[in-house]
Amino acid sequence: MATTLNPNESLKDEQRFKRRKINWNYFLQDNITGSTGLTVWIVFMTIVNLWFSVRQLGAAPGRTIVVLAVWAALILMVVAGEMFGIRSRVSEWLKNNLLTSVSNALVTLFLMLLLTMAFTSFWHYAVTTATWTVAESSIDFRSAQAEAGVEIGASWGVIWGSRKLLLTGLLEPQYNGRVITSAILIGVLWLLTSITNRDRFAENNGVQILKNITNIGWLISPFALYILLAGIAYEGPFINFSTLIRWEIVVLAIFGLLYFFNVLQLTPLNIAIWVLAWPLAYVIWRFIGQNGWYPPINVDQWGGLLLTIIFAIFVNLASFPVGILLALGRRADVQGIPWWIIWPVTLILTTILLYTNTFGNCLGTIPALCENTNLWATSRNNIERGIALWPLIIPLLAYLFQRMYNGNMVQAASVVFIEFVRGVPLITLLFLAIVMAPFFLPVDGSGSFKKVFAVMIGYTIFSAAYMAELIRGGLQAIPRGQYEAADALGMNALQKYRFIILPQALRILIPALAGSVIGTFKSSSLVSLIGLFDFVGIGRAVFTNDQWLGLKTEVYLFLFIAYFLVSSIVSLYSRRIEESTGLGIR
Amino acid sequence: MAQISADPPPSSDTQKNILSTVISSIFDVRVLGVLGQIAFIVLVVLGFRAIFANFGDNVEKLGEAQFICRDGRFDYRCAYDFMENEAGFDISDPPLTYVNTNSYWYALYLGFLNTLRVGVLGVIFTTILGTLAGIARLSTNWLISKIALAYVEIIRNTPVVIQLFIIYFVIILSLPKVDDALQVFNLPIFLSNRGLAMAWPQLMSSSAVWIAFLVLGAIQFQVTWIYLARQEERTGKPTNQWGWGIFGFVVIAIIGWIVATNVADTEAMLTPKSSLIREVDGISKVVVTKSGTNHISEVPLLPEDQLAEATLNVCVLRDSKSEPNLTRQLRSQKVPYKVIRKATPDKATTDLLDGKCTVFAASKSILAGELATIESPTSYRLLSVDEQPVVWSVPRLEGFNLAGGLSLSPELFALLIGLIIFYGGGLAEVVRAGILSVSKGQTEAARALGLNEAQRLNLIVLPQALKVIIPPLISTYLSLIKDTSLGLAVGFPDMYLISRTTMNQSGRALQMMIVIMAFYLLISLVFSLILNWYNSKITMVER
Repeated sequence: MATTLNPNESLKDEQRFKRRKINWNYFLQDNITGSTGLTVWIVFMTIVNLWFSVRQLGAAPGRTIVVLAVWAALILMVVAGEMFGIRSRVSEWLKNNLLTSVSNALVTLFLMLLLTMAFTSFWHYAVTTATWTVAESSIDFRSAQAEAGVEIGASWGVIWGSRKLLLTGLLEPQYNGRVITSAILIGVLWLLTSITNRDRFAENNGVQILKNITNIGWLISPFALYILLAGIAYEGPFINFSTLIRWEIVVLAIFGLLYFFNVLQLTPLNIAIWVLAWPLAYVIWRFIGQNGWYPPINVDQWGGLLLTIIFAIFVNLASFPVGILLALGRRADVQGIPWWIIWPVTLILTTILLYTNTFGNCLGTIPALCENTNLWATSRNNIERGIALWPLIIPLLAYLFQRMYNGNMVQAASVVFIEFVRGVPLITLLFLAIVMAPFFLPVDGSGSFKKVFAVMIGYTIFSAAYMAELIRGGLQAIPRGQYEAADALGMNALQKYRFIILPQALRILIPALAGSVIGTFKSSSLVSLIGLFDFVGIGRAVFTNDQWLGLKTEVYLFLFIAYFLVSSIVSLYSRRIEESTGLGIR
Repeated sequence: MAQISADPPPSSDTQKNILSTVISSIFDVRVLGVLGQIAFIVLVVLGFRAIFANFGDNVEKLGEAQFICRDGRFDYRCAYDFMENEAGFDISDPPLTYVNTNSYWYALYLGFLNTLRVGVLGVIFTTILGTLAGIARLSTNWLISKIALAYVEIIRNTPVVIQLFIIYFVIILSLPKVDDALQVFNLPIFLSNRGLAMAWPQLMSSSAVWIAFLVLGAIQFQVTWIYLARQEERTGKPTNQWGWGIFGFVVIAIIGWIVATNVADTEAMLTPKSSLIREVDGISKVVVTKSGTNHISEVPLLPEDQLAEATLNVCVLRDSKSEPNLTRQLRSQKVPYKVIRKATPDKATTDLLDGKCTVFAASKSILAGELATIESPTSYRLLSVDEQPVVWSVPRLEGFNLAGGLSLSPELFALLIGLIIFYGGGLAEVVRAGILSVSKGQTEAARALGLNEAQRLNLIVLPQALKVIIPPLISTYLSLIKDTSLGLAVGFPDMYLISRTTMNQSGRALQMMIVIMAFYLLISLVFSLILNWYNSKITMVER
């Protein structure tokens, strides 16, 4: 197969040494005189090449001569192949890919000169004149070298020297063990998953049990990670029965609902898990908290790579279910609220708000604002008078709602939410989360947020809106017949999506989801702009440190390469998953 | 009442029926859906009420001062009154003149203009770069396609924030100082740690006349084109539509230039009669006037002291059009000159009287007014200055800055370059996918019909590729416009940064957050409406 596909390998020996007859008229026409534009281009490229070569010869003669010689040799190879029939795979490849025409050959020369120039100057900075040890990156050493007139390029020692900061930021060193434990936990689970999912273990019962244990491990891991990285403290009675029972009822209600809609079966195992999970978790939680095994860490100390990874994992995991809900909401085809409910309510409400100064003109419970209740009379100018008529917006909104969504509230709310979030830049949402959280949370401080958590929630909201649009695309890609077949089988909506639609849609979405994961990981660097010390933020802090003053190039290049490597690995991994799920093979 | 009670009570059978109807209709999916939605609305309203209740408490606690009117009342409608106060902060790169005593509103307006500037320039250059890179990805030259691939992969796999940091802090800020700025290919384009400065055509007062002629030329082009096309259709002989059209356009443009130059008579200069021509070691000191006859000049290769003597001191008003106009002529006559910029005409006149400058150049109306205030007007002359519709304004080193031409601050330059490179990488993939989506048969069919490469691209490939390209292109543009808020990373005073500075200075977090959100929502909405309209126009061509 391969030989017939590859034109170079299909060359027979007799073809390989056969002379081609060259018609010089055609050659000139094809390569130089074919059109005015082509001729001008050739002349232009020749001049540029001459100018550039002369400059490079002046600056770095040895290197430039080598490049020119290599280029000439390549040309000779092609010429030899064409005119004298001395062909090889290399010369054929060159002819087809690098030196297809005169203009291409000139462009190739220019790029060769440019690339060697760029590469050697970078090499000179990053390797030849670079220093590598921590001591050599200190400001004393560097200023001494500068005084002595020694040229130093990159001082890579700063990376190793600041490894603690770059990895965990301002986290106190006593907690390093807990961070390492978390990393090991995730690593082991990931390793187990990738081993147990191999095809050849599909029949092995032992491995299958291990696989189930691993899955349970994944389920528990968020709580374990929270305990490890944020810590818990608890004082008071060991078990607060009212809390225990209240949440047990919630859990059982969810279970009942899932059973009612035929998504879960009533097997003994299921019952045992759902009944026991919450009390068990509660007891363990309290036990750990009361014993003070994992004292709480101030989460605003999280930083460096740790914070970036926490962001990436949390935001991706949390935005996924929210995104699915939003996407389903946007596609929901439920019966809208009928007009004979919408219009009376709207008109009554508008009238009340317009003619009484009850709650429209007296924002909530701000007593001071209620002194001047008559908005119209106290207006200073026409703008304010216009604002006083704000209740008139309600019928307008009701009209739009009726007109565009047929009264379908689920759809309207999803669309408004998604479009609102997608319409503003991420950085504004993050900033909003930080600035506005203290305004809208209870005054007594019971809901006071750590900055990190506020940003996480803001980021999740943003990510979920984008995720929703991705998932909507996937849902749209599923053929209508699948939906209809599920309906024909008598499945309810929950079953339809759980067993038929989502498994197919998510498989299609793997590349897009991988892109989204990478995007979230990359964009998390924005939090450095609002004062969090994530990987980038702590990097910027490193080179303002006295010892490493001014080493910004090194730090930024390191960050650049680190982000590039992680993103590339994720995208390679997603391609592997894609292959293993059989996507694109079909 | 009696009548109703007289009715026989409903039998238990019908009662059961009604009950079952009610129950079954309650459990009807549609009714359930409506009830659920109403419940949802009620929940949302209650949620907002709770939030606003908290908000009210917090406003009381955090600062009622935010809502105090000028007359000391407390009214939430006075929330934006503070915007009329003095801003008090500096803007490093104002698109219009700005001093820190201007109001917050004005500062915000400048931020809006800055955002728009970056957005529009970014969109234009991203399109160019993305298209080039997308085509380069498909190049037959292995080196080109691999370089384009490396560009796309590297840019798409790294955060735009780090790219901006590298471009701004590592590359632009370590460019040479302004006095030995890098000159690109010996063209009048200068790169330094003060950003980019390049020669730029500056419109003068007579430009309107010339532009009118250009419009005329364009109309002529269209008319000629249609006429020749009809002739070609009629006679069957090929006509040179491009050639004649462009020829006519150029002729009209030249005529317009000459007319505009001679019609315009608004610029002038005021100079003492005595100093008009003065011998300095055998070299006439020169002034260029509209008549342009009586003055001679030579290239002054003079020693420094004499050069200082020979240098013509020109007083102009700050940001006036007279400066590029006169300096262009002085340069073309090779007269050494020095520009002294003054804020008001009075100061310039004082300098002229003191002899600090030989010439005061401004518009005729200003100069006539100034001449009236001079004690001995007869010893001064008012001379008309030659005036071209468009003057090529070239940056010159003055003190520690490059003056003249178009200059972009390093922050604007970095933000622009960063966004262009980042979104160009994304766009390259879009363009590539679009071109690849056109099936090979289309290209082959076009070749078989004898279309040349340009026709094939314009008539066959692009119209089909555009349908695939435009929707993702729209979202790229929208993201780019939103990401102008990353000016924060390099300190470019766009809408977002100015809002934040205002917020920090005035403490009005809530008001400014509303402004920012509303602004970006509005701009996204407007752009997406325009682009979607364009998209629907493009796709309507479909069968």
